[in-house]
Amino acid sequence: MWAMIVKEFRQLRRDRRTLAMMIVLPVILLIVFGYAASFDVSKIPTVAAGPQAAALVHSLGKPFDLVAAAPDEGRAWAQTQLRNNTNGADVAVITGSGPTQVLIDGSQLFSARTALGALAAVQEKALAERASGSPVQRPQVTVLYNPELKTSYIMIPGLCGVILVFIGTIITSLGVVRERQTGTLEQLAVMPLRPRDVFLGKITPYFTVACLDLAIVLAIGVAVFGVPFRGSYAVFGLGALLFLFVTLGLGVLISSVSENQGQAIQLSVMVMLPQVLLSGLIFPLTSIAVGVRWISYILPLTYFNEISRGVMLRAEPIGPLWQPFVFLALLGLIVFTLASLRFRSFLAPAAPRRGRGPAPAGPQPAGAEAVQEAGAGAGTVPAATGPAAPAGQAGQSGAAGPAGQTGPGSAGSGR
Amino acid sequence: MTGSSPAAGPSPGDRAGRAATASPEWWGTEEASVRYGDKLALDHVTFRAVPGRISAVVGGDGAGRTTLLRCLAGAHAVSSGQVRLPVALRIGYLPAGSGIYPDLSVDENLAFRATAYQLPAAAARERSGELLERAGLASARGRLAGQLSGGMRQKLGVIAAMLHRPDLLVLDEPTTGVDPVSRADLWWLITRAAADGAAVVLATSYLDEAERATDVLALDAGRELAAGTPEEIVAAMPGTLRASDARPEGEAGQRAWRRGGRWRIWDPPVPPGQPGPAAGRAAGQPGRVLAPDLQDAVTVAILARELAAAQAGNGQPEGGDPR
Amino acid sequence: MTQPLAQCVGVSKRFGDFVAVDGVDLRLGRGEVVGLLGANGAGKTTLIRMLLGLLATSGGQVLLFGEPPSRRTRQRIGYVPQTLGLYDDLTPAENLAFSSAAFGGQPGEGGRQVMASALPESLRPYRRTVVGSLPLGVQRSVAFAQALAHQPDLLILDEPTSGVDPLARARLWETVAIAATAGTGVLVTTHYMDEAEECDRLMVMADGRVVAEGTAGQIIGGARVSVVETRSWAAAFDALEAAGLPAALVGRTLRVPGADPAEVRRALGPVEASVTGAPATLEERFFELTLSSSRAREPA
Repeated sequence: MWAMIVKEFRQLRRDRRTLAMMIVLPVILLIVFGYAASFDVSKIPTVAAGPQAAALVHSLGKPFDLVAAAPDEGRAWAQTQLRNNTNGADVAVITGSGPTQVLIDGSQLFSARTALGALAAVQEKALAERASGSPVQRPQVTVLYNPELKTSYIMIPGLCGVILVFIGTIITSLGVVRERQTGTLEQLAVMPLRPRDVFLGKITPYFTVACLDLAIVLAIGVAVFGVPFRGSYAVFGLGALLFLFVTLGLGVLISSVSENQGQAIQLSVMVMLPQVLLSGLIFPLTSIAVGVRWISYILPLTYFNEISRGVMLRAEPIGPLWQPFVFLALLGLIVFTLASLRFRSFLAPAAPRRGRGPAPAGPQPAGAEAVQEAGAGAGTVPAATGPAAPAGQAGQSGAAGPAGQTGPGSAGSGR
Repeated sequence: MTGSSPAAGPSPGDRAGRAATASPEWWGTEEASVRYGDKLALDHVTFRAVPGRISAVVGGDGAGRTTLLRCLAGAHAVSSGQVRLPVALRIGYLPAGSGIYPDLSVDENLAFRATAYQLPAAAARERSGELLERAGLASARGRLAGQLSGGMRQKLGVIAAMLHRPDLLVLDEPTTGVDPVSRADLWWLITRAAADGAAVVLATSYLDEAERATDVLALDAGRELAAGTPEEIVAAMPGTLRASDARPEGEAGQRAWRRGGRWRIWDPPVPPGQPGPAAGRAAGQPGRVLAPDLQDAVTVAILARELAAAQAGNGQPEGGDPR
Repeated sequence: MTQPLAQCVGVSKRFGDFVAVDGVDLRLGRGEVVGLLGANGAGKTTLIRMLLGLLATSGGQVLLFGEPPSRRTRQRIGYVPQTLGLYDDLTPAENLAFSSAAFGGQPGEGGRQVMASALPESLRPYRRTVVGSLPLGVQRSVAFAQALAHQPDLLILDEPTSGVDPLARARLWETVAIAATAGTGVLVTTHYMDEAEECDRLMVMADGRVVAEGTAGQIIGGARVSVVETRSWAAAFDALEAAGLPAALVGRTLRVPGADPAEVRRALGPVEASVTGAPATLEERFFELTLSSSRAREPA
């Protein structure tokens, strides 16, 4: 039995990926549960509309944090601020003729809950401090977008992103790695197929399945859980498309550095886990410690969550969403291009072939395409034909080497 | 063999059913080298495959066979030297791992191949049917390729490679590890391809199979060890071969190997100008002289190179010696 | 007479309706090298697995050193499977260390000394490289060394030389011969017909049965093939194919097993050729035996 233990340790020592996983995963979890996993909101960005509104917000104290004030504006402006999530606004205080209004963004679930709680506390305090008998001015509090503060309202949009990550990254990487594992990739390299056709042909089914799954999740979310879809399908669709490019590209990249499905899964999980935990899907971004929050801002799912929640719950138009869109577009372009280059490098020989024989009638297949692979190194030198093959080789079959070759047994021009 | 002329191969009239395309005299490489980092996988190798003929490439593991075949199939580029190949559409390739999708059925695999090589569906069906039938796979058409036995999968791989009647058929060890019955079927398929006019290149570890080919190239450490027809290679073997019942003592023991239950000893030719036979090689030594076959000639070639390297390097370990 | 090292008496194995092994008798004594030839699916691997005790028999008896297979008998066997049974991510030394520990270093029959867990001299240069990075010939040597390390009385080798160059093959067979001379019984399966000559005795299996036994010469017997020499070999090939005669291109002649020259002459029709007879090779005889065995099983 001892021998078995020793052997397993030796093998483990050499398995870099598993080692990495054993170290990286606990670190990720540590970061998350140490710094990120919190539903406590300490700061709620608040906008103030109307005369004296800014002062009122200040008087509310923590956790409300004034981020914008517009003394000449009214409810419409405030609502737009919330809808567009400008400056991260979660609460708006509107003063003017009539009672003070407070609008709370219900799509930021935990901020909303905290805000409600804080408002109630303030009111209690005010009640207690007032002289008895004088009327209390109660503000009108309205929770927008998610009046019942249902968790499903924010989870379903988030789930859409998770589905796209799951299929786009994990499933795609498995499918592509399978080709490497069965050794059929080499066959594809030799076939008269264009590398582009192979690449796109390979990922299109996963793209299609991802879209289908997304549609199913949305349909169930709306029909069964009653999650609203208030915004533009086109905006949502575009966001999903860009996000898919990122995740599909990641899937192919992962497969290009994995030799078998086991490795692909390991890497995919390591890529997916931080996204699920740190993208604002479960724990609100505002609760994540600032020192760690930068990680969230490089995760693509963070941006897609903004898009999906904004469009579905707040009918956010594309304008204010320009940041996530640009980020996803850029990232998608980079990742997808890298992925297709790496994939092609498996399919095309490192340098263009020379000296092709006569082509048959018909389309010249793009096997003649030379894909210059960065860092491939080997260029083809059209060396002059070496010492002329010895005379008398006419009619001689195949593999006779030129004269002067090494070793015994080399066929001279025997005939 | 017999009085067959060197031009024995299918005459133009034999190539029934093939579109008349002007093919060159040969496909192959000329002084080709392939470099991986600082390692030379192929070192100035010249190889020619002639349409209608079967050419065999032999050599141990790491000798460069797979690298050469990959270059011939167009899967890999050479670092220097020239390569003459048909376009990808006219090449058929069997990689070392059969290149077959295990999760597709026999028919589905062939259908994919047919489409990729632009073979019209009707022609593809007819040809697959004929080849599968003859190779004994007709009853397994619906079976998943991963469930086929090794020999059957190799047969499928070869059929898939030759489905579109390529001009150049490159097969990487189609028969290694395959039982003799399936090997007979495979050899039939290979013969069929050559009869159809393809230039067939075949890597094999069976020297008796290589002996059946028209031309042989033996590789060792990326370099050519021997080349020519089997008869030429045998004729070019230097020195003589003796048979013995036991491994000889002393220096001769390093030139001996076991075969068929007995020992063979190679006596290299005495270099001109040397005073006489080296110690241990007196005239009239034990064992009768043998006529070598291809396997002997190749073994001698490997041995000679090993001995030369050992003398030059002094203390170089010999690979593969289990003692 | 000492008892045989391994013995099978009427051994059968059934998987549902499929009969993998059908009434096989086998006897392997000290120092004997027995070769097992057969097509894939002929039952060789199943038979070996029963010998090793990995599979229970459906009928008949398997005896190793006079007793049924057990953990104790397993320790006296050295086995090299087709896949070599090595860990790709361990070095040869580590592999050997593990298997030595697993086999526990029992002294063999006749009081031989405790096994060597040190690498043989020739493998020393490779001791720091993981097996997965070694050339195939060296990997096979490592597998051999591992199987022999505990001085087994019985050595079972499944296609031990597949894919290796002739010189390396010769050296592996030398190891086998040395072990046999020391008294180890060796059962080996192979597809290389010239290795059949290395064996004292051959057993040819087809469809789960032993269809021939003896030396190569005995098995070939008087079998003959027809040899066709012609300029237009492709036409000849087509003609023979049309007549249902399997022909193989060998160099520049066609060899047709299982058919006499007259029959071949008739099948060739107008094709100009000379047809003679010749003795069959072991491979051709084997092919014939396997074919007739499967034909005998086909419904009429």
